[in-house]
Amino acid sequence: MESRDRYKARFQSLQEAKQGAFMPFTVLGWPDEETSFRIIKTMIDSGASALELGIAFSDPVADGPIIQAAAHKVIENGFTVKQALELVARVRKYDADVPMGLLVYYNHIMAMGVEKFFEKAGECGVDGVLVADLPAESSDEVLSAGTVNGISTIFIVSPLTREERLAKIVEHASGFIYLVSRLGVTGTDERNADRDSRLTALIASIKKATPLPVLAGFGISTPAHAEKMMASGADGVITGSKIVDLVAKADPAKMESELSSYLKQMVAALNLVKV
Amino acid sequence: MRTLGKFGRYGGVYVPETLMPALEELEEAFATIVPGDAFKTRLASLLTDYAGRPTPLYHAKNLSDKWGAQVFLKREDLLHGGAHKTNNALGQALLSKMMGKERIIAETGAGQHGVACAMSGALLGLKTEVYMGEVDMERQKPNVYRMQLLGTTVHPVKTGSRTLKDAINEALRDWIANLENTHYLLGTVAGPHPFPSMVKHFQRIIGEEASAQIQEKTGRQPDYVVACVGGGSNAIGIFAEFIDKTSVQLVGVEPAGKGLDTDKHGAVLALGSFGCVHGMKSLVLQTEEGQIQEAHSISAGLDYPSVGPEHAFLKDTGRARYESATDEEALSAFHELCREEGIIPALESSHALFIGKKLAQGEAAGKSIVINLSGRGDKDLHEVMKHGK
Ligand SMILES: Cc1ncc(COP(=O)(O)O)c(C=O)c1O
Repeated sequence: MESRDRYKARFQSLQEAKQGAFMPFTVLGWPDEETSFRIIKTMIDSGASALELGIAFSDPVADGPIIQAAAHKVIENGFTVKQALELVARVRKYDADVPMGLLVYYNHIMAMGVEKFFEKAGECGVDGVLVADLPAESSDEVLSAGTVNGISTIFIVSPLTREERLAKIVEHASGFIYLVSRLGVTGTDERNADRDSRLTALIASIKKATPLPVLAGFGISTPAHAEKMMASGADGVITGSKIVDLVAKADPAKMESELSSYLKQMVAALNLVKV
Repeated sequence: MRTLGKFGRYGGVYVPETLMPALEELEEAFATIVPGDAFKTRLASLLTDYAGRPTPLYHAKNLSDKWGAQVFLKREDLLHGGAHKTNNALGQALLSKMMGKERIIAETGAGQHGVACAMSGALLGLKTEVYMGEVDMERQKPNVYRMQLLGTTVHPVKTGSRTLKDAINEALRDWIANLENTHYLLGTVAGPHPFPSMVKHFQRIIGEEASAQIQEKTGRQPDYVVACVGGGSNAIGIFAEFIDKTSVQLVGVEPAGKGLDTDKHGAVLALGSFGCVHGMKSLVLQTEEGQIQEAHSISAGLDYPSVGPEHAFLKDTGRARYESATDEEALSAFHELCREEGIIPALESSHALFIGKKLAQGEAAGKSIVINLSGRGDKDLHEVMKHGK
């Protein structure tokens, strides 16, 4: 279908240019609707390959303190799931080609109804949905709604995912594989060099199981991290907490320029020729 | 996983992929280690010699005379630690030890589960850390000190409603980061599979004992079994043995807080809707869009916006029914038990007492009623005093 092609088209052109993908993340509606749009626009204008956009949930168990705080603020502001989807539609109007994925907790999908949620997401120009708390075991609950609406179902692979599980995950996955590159929740904590050294083998085994691009996330916040992930065989990286933290700490008047210069550094690190 | 642990449309495994290896490992250990002789023998001896099982089934004569039914109290308040939580904590702590884990983490609301974990951790040489909402730390201070005395680190949880639900989130996040050496010792029959089934397994001893004890005392099974429902572990624990005995009416009691017509209650089974939180599908107090709402109860242990999936299932099938008691009603039952029988009950258990009384004075007049006295009230003195004698 049409929207799934956005991931395909974008990853293909990056591949041809021998460049890594940069997929920044933010929470929709944070810190408020207008600023949120400006953050996302800055991401696109600074060369983001694709976007990962979170819907704020009251109980985000996969998220560390930075993204939790952002989510709680969005809910406190009274910004709704419906408004989040409308914001996505506005971004789609701004850029017809950038692939956009939603990071959502299952309860929001259940509350709206699986079919309706995917239909609405499709209408708003969403290309992929990653349900943070829906493992491959239970994924048949959403797969057909994804297919019907041309939305990729993104799945996570972790450093502890075993072979049999990996096989099951890639069977259901489309769009790309979200590699959680370190144990734990989202955040900007120190990385563990010993663990990072084992990622090469992990990425190789994913690549053997699926032709989908592998994007590494969780704890990726510097150009050096990005280079490390590329050297380990990843096709790109996802950065979330660092961006939310940067915006939270920035002088509001200079937020866009500070964010843009950070994003451009990440893009530059990923533009290095892939081996 | 071997199964997804469904109870009808409820239960299941709804967690981030990063947690799946831990749940698979746990399910495997529950299926292989727990039925083994080594485990069974050791747990049985701990429950008897360390924790004080069996707990008595006490025929409360003063209450029976006053209320007009035969009232029996299952005395989990006399268990070491002061609540039924010890049954589960010892079971899971022993299991984690045999799985080779070095560290246990837990959430706690009332602090009873935290204390039970702290005791078990001290006993078995496991490093123990407990997550507790800031609001609950204030309400249940004595239990915070108790945990600290037992060598446990208590982490205050400052996110969200700063109560039990947020403590569970924090414990899950810790587990995701440390699952290789850590077991998450969940305190109730909620959360992802295998927890609802595993915690039920460790709590079903309450009902097994009660069934045998009342048979011996009265020559028959009870007409009613009543228990309070927070996450639902003491209730499932006492219900389990009676579920197939269809003449026995099972009654769970939820916290009605300041009233079901207010937004300050925790009556999930009465007023919740189908949803997904903390790794399971169940009934949930939530907004139309699916944000989880805060529950309210005078008792921290019942202050939870969801409920164990099996209770939602038992409600749907009609095998159990669920009533509720307000803060005021629970307090009145608390004082009545103190004065009539010389027993200070936990505020949680006082909810069950109130509904026991209501049944005795109504449809259950003259019948036999077993009420699960899930814990003792020492931890609640501060809270009760705030409301005046
Ligand atoms: C004495 C007592 N009863 C009941 C509960 C509620 O838990 P559950 O519904 O799992 O039995 C608690 C929880 O802390 C408790 O301390």
